[in-house]
Amino acid sequence: MTATLTDRRRAGDDPSAPLLEVDDLTVAFGDGPGSVRAVENVSLSVGTGEIYALVGESGCGKSTLGYSLLGIVPPPGRIAGGDVRFRGRSTTAMPKNELNGLRGSELSMVFQGAMNAFNPVLTIGTQVEHILAAHPGRFSSDEEGKAYFEHLLELVQLPPERIWKSFESQLSGGMKQRVAIAVALLLKPSLVVLDEPTTALDVLNQRLVIDILKELHRELGVTIIFVTHDLAVVAELATRVAVMYAGRLVESGTVDEIFGAGRRHPYVEALINAIPSVLDSGLRVKPIGGSVPNLARLPQGCRFAPRCSLAEDLCRSTEPPLVGDAVGHLVSCHVVNRGLDGDAAGADSNGTAPHADREGAAS
Amino acid sequence: MTLLEVQHVTHSYPTSPRPVLRDVSLEVVAGDVVAVVGESGCGKTTMGRLIAGLTEPSQGKVAFDGSDIWSLKGRAKKDWRRRVQLVHQDPYGSLNPGLTLGSTLAPGMLYHKLATPRTVDQAMLEVLEQVGLDPTKEFLQRYPHQLSGGQRQRLSIARAISLRPDLVVADEVTSMLDVSMRVAILDLLLKFRAERGIGFVFISHDFGVVRYFTQGGRIAVMFFGSIVEVGPTDEVVTAPKHPYTQMLLQAIPVPNPALARQREAEEAAAGGETERLIGEPSWTGCVFANRCPLVQDVCRTTPPPLQQVKTDDGTATQGHQAACHFSDRIPPLRYLAHEGDGASNQNGARQNGVHESAGGSGSHPAQASVG
Repeated sequence: MTATLTDRRRAGDDPSAPLLEVDDLTVAFGDGPGSVRAVENVSLSVGTGEIYALVGESGCGKSTLGYSLLGIVPPPGRIAGGDVRFRGRSTTAMPKNELNGLRGSELSMVFQGAMNAFNPVLTIGTQVEHILAAHPGRFSSDEEGKAYFEHLLELVQLPPERIWKSFESQLSGGMKQRVAIAVALLLKPSLVVLDEPTTALDVLNQRLVIDILKELHRELGVTIIFVTHDLAVVAELATRVAVMYAGRLVESGTVDEIFGAGRRHPYVEALINAIPSVLDSGLRVKPIGGSVPNLARLPQGCRFAPRCSLAEDLCRSTEPPLVGDAVGHLVSCHVVNRGLDGDAAGADSNGTAPHADREGAAS
Repeated sequence: MTLLEVQHVTHSYPTSPRPVLRDVSLEVVAGDVVAVVGESGCGKTTMGRLIAGLTEPSQGKVAFDGSDIWSLKGRAKKDWRRRVQLVHQDPYGSLNPGLTLGSTLAPGMLYHKLATPRTVDQAMLEVLEQVGLDPTKEFLQRYPHQLSGGQRQRLSIARAISLRPDLVVADEVTSMLDVSMRVAILDLLLKFRAERGIGFVFISHDFGVVRYFTQGGRIAVMFFGSIVEVGPTDEVVTAPKHPYTQMLLQAIPVPNPALARQREAEEAAAGGETERLIGEPSWTGCVFANRCPLVQDVCRTTPPPLQQVKTDDGTATQGHQAACHFSDRIPPLRYLAHEGDGASNQNGARQNGVHESAGGSGSHPAQASVG
């Protein structure tokens, strides 16, 4: 019953390409001088089997980036530049019916507030039957599809018979979130994007969702991208992390780099130090002064400069490029990258770093 | 001086078959801070509503300054109304969108005669300054939709603080805010605690926030309508004496990938621990029995009273109580490396925010230039 990765790889895909690549992507809302760029010049690369976290505060563009991965940015938003490639093929240039075919069966999403995503007057079972009817080729019979859904419910630790007959109002918030995850995996996608999967859950349900996502990743081999503002959840779940600030990628690397001694960007440092932890009595915690800039009135130069303790004149005039080191750890900061530029150029051009992106050169 | 007493309160809503609070008692002395923690649906918000006098308890008594709040009349009632204030969870829902900041703040101050129509503008500007909002007359003309989430929560706090309360019930005040704003809001509330001796009942499910806010205060842990443990903050979070508190603490995600992998490996080896996390409560015997990893026969039949914790060496502070037959047998916490424990730390996770320069790309130019 368990789908393997080789089952799904199809002719025409480039097997050497990462599962998903975002290349210099810009997502704009509106036109002309009043337009706002919610995502600007973001590049990242997600390999098969990774658990990739997009993290940042509200308004940093992380959810918009998540939507653009499936080509579902809500109007008036639009992809204003760059590309998203799935298995080496551009989804932005793809005919609409082909993209529709990818959605659900290859790319899937669990939306923020997924607990409100169900139809309140139909049972969960009826809604699953509708999905199966809309994708007739996925299973040889409806019974097989139903059996697979019941298998998924067991993986998310819910009783299949009871859930199948339930209306959403009969389930708790944590249960609905887990049903939503099972529904998103119903058509055996290779990649699932989860927007804030643990937000609005209490600590025990959070723990359960974390454990379940790890289990699904292990059992089904599904690649996971999740969007969150909770850094502790990132440390528990992700293998790689991209931190965003005001529409831009400011640092990306492995969880061990970001949470260990390897992180470098002053915003990431400040964000981690701004979280009160049960582990200490609070002396360590420092709030970040100021607030996130309005995207319509961005400061000149580095977007974090007005709140940054390291900011220099250069930061207030010139936007810093995203520069990678030899292992593909990317940081966009004039101050901490000083002296790194030479190494980074080498890593980018000889292609030894699988996750080195090209944004540094582009900007 | 005891400011607030919740005495043996049991409360039922007409729509729920079982009481949401069951024989709950809690005391807050002036200037004290007590956090109420627990999972969704444990009754902590109902507790806040009872304390603020928004809901009348089905049984038991809520007393403020020695008087039952539901027996108060006239001037005494008006005075109590001023002295207990509530700050709500959602700053997007708790402010009237049709009122400017000025018309949100002024009526309370005028009604309680803390300002006159001539002085109220000046008084409001002072309050704005105290909560870190722009103290200008133009700002008083703004509407809530013109404010950010953090500014709205500051306005909610201004509304409460402007009435010079003695007790503030803060219900999940940071849960809707951005990570970088949370500490600033907590610090603001702590400033009022330090400067004015305001007492707080702080309702939250985030232990990190609770520990930060309740230094020197107490934590009460609720499970399905009962207080299962109450005690001094540091003692409860470092040496819990109830298995539920233990479970809550151990469930907290920690920003340390190495610890997360260790936990995953150990839980995979132990197998299927997670289903204990969200089981139904038990309505005979101990309310936690169905989920409890330490459950014994006696727990299924006899509800344990909330009593002073038993320790061999007698180190527990007076006032640390737990409702567990076996509160002396709770094993030490795992996966939580407390300060100075020297616990698992192999990937260079930092303590006290100090970088360990582990060589290679681990050197930290940012730190160097700060120092």
